[in-house]
Amino acid sequence: MKEAVPLAKARDTAIFGSKAVGLGDAARAGLSVPPGVALSGSIVEAVAGEEVRAIERVAKSVRPLQGPLAVRSSAVDEDGAEASFAGQHLTLLNVPSAAEVPSALREIWWSANSDSAITYRQRVGLFTRPSVAVVIQTLLDPDVAGVMFTQNPMSGADERVIEASWGLGEAVVAGLVIPDHFRVDRSGHVLDRKAGLKRIRVRSVADGGTVEEEVPSELAERLCLDSGQLEELNRLALRCEQIYGPARDIEWAFAGGTLYLLQCRAVTRAGL
Amino acid sequence: MPGAPVDSLKRVPLFAELDRREIEQIARLFKERRFSEGETVVREDTGGAAFFLIDSGEATVSVAGAERTSLHPGDYFGEIALIDEGTRSATVTAASDLVCYGLTLWDFRPLVQENGAVGWKLLQSMAKKLRAAEQD
Repeated sequence: MKEAVPLAKARDTAIFGSKAVGLGDAARAGLSVPPGVALSGSIVEAVAGEEVRAIERVAKSVRPLQGPLAVRSSAVDEDGAEASFAGQHLTLLNVPSAAEVPSALREIWWSANSDSAITYRQRVGLFTRPSVAVVIQTLLDPDVAGVMFTQNPMSGADERVIEASWGLGEAVVAGLVIPDHFRVDRSGHVLDRKAGLKRIRVRSVADGGTVEEEVPSELAERLCLDSGQLEELNRLALRCEQIYGPARDIEWAFAGGTLYLLQCRAVTRAGL
Repeated sequence: MPGAPVDSLKRVPLFAELDRREIEQIARLFKERRFSEGETVVREDTGGAAFFLIDSGEATVSVAGAERTSLHPGDYFGEIALIDEGTRSATVTAASDLVCYGLTLWDFRPLVQENGAVGWKLLQSMAKKLRAAEQD
């Protein structure tokens, strides 16, 4: 089905993939998620194949979104229990406008049909035609972002483990910095806070893409989250557990004073 | 029309026996893929996902680090790994900005299975490569 719907209407993982439906669940539950749309795998393939009607339909759906866009794959069997496609399928941060969305979708479609993605599929026993659904969202310009495990993935302890750094969360996810490290118990009490070494931050640039920029030296070793923000993150962890279940791996960002949920998935690997 | 340009496909020996209607059907299965100069298009010893036809630009072919030949608009590559589901037999690198049209293995196999003329051309191409390899 060639569908393009607002995130809150993405309900079927077989059509929109787990990432889009997870964000749809969050939007329906009233959590703050950046505004966005979910595209079905078939409309993404049609756009990659330059079908004019599909391109027009996607253009219409993304028109209400403000500013630069983040375009992420939400492949239908992505993040499943058997295999994680994280790292195999492309994410394009800071696509400057709706006009660049078709070429972004084509790149993402090819990333799922690349030699490395197909080799991975063969290795994990998923040698089937990929269905590459996509999430398109307004790209935030966060002050701080990172990841959070609702349960300690190393020890299994009932505590939140948070890693954070300045700017976009890609600095943490891609291992570009030593992030600040926090442990918070279920009641919100901070058990541990360790400052990392955050010499760079990732920011979006006006003409598309992202750039790694130097962090002022006084910020590199300063904790980037205060107690109030840690409390907000603990509340987000609780809500995510209520909505999705225990042991979640969350990507989040603070932008303009608001905490946004960027992604929430089941923990698929041990260790941070 | 979406897909690969029909005129480019007509020049490919693999599709030379096909009539225009058949080529138009095949052209719709192709999707454009762009590579920057220096980018690896396919890498030796990795699994293969697609067959490519060069629309513009140039590429070099190397085996075990030794450059063997160069590819130009109208040339195609990547079919061997799709046929035997093995690994890539060579590395192809974009020698300039490169625009290709790619046909994934999901579309390539039914195309060959359903079209004897394409299958025959592939066999001829394979035979030529086998002879060339024997003479090396």
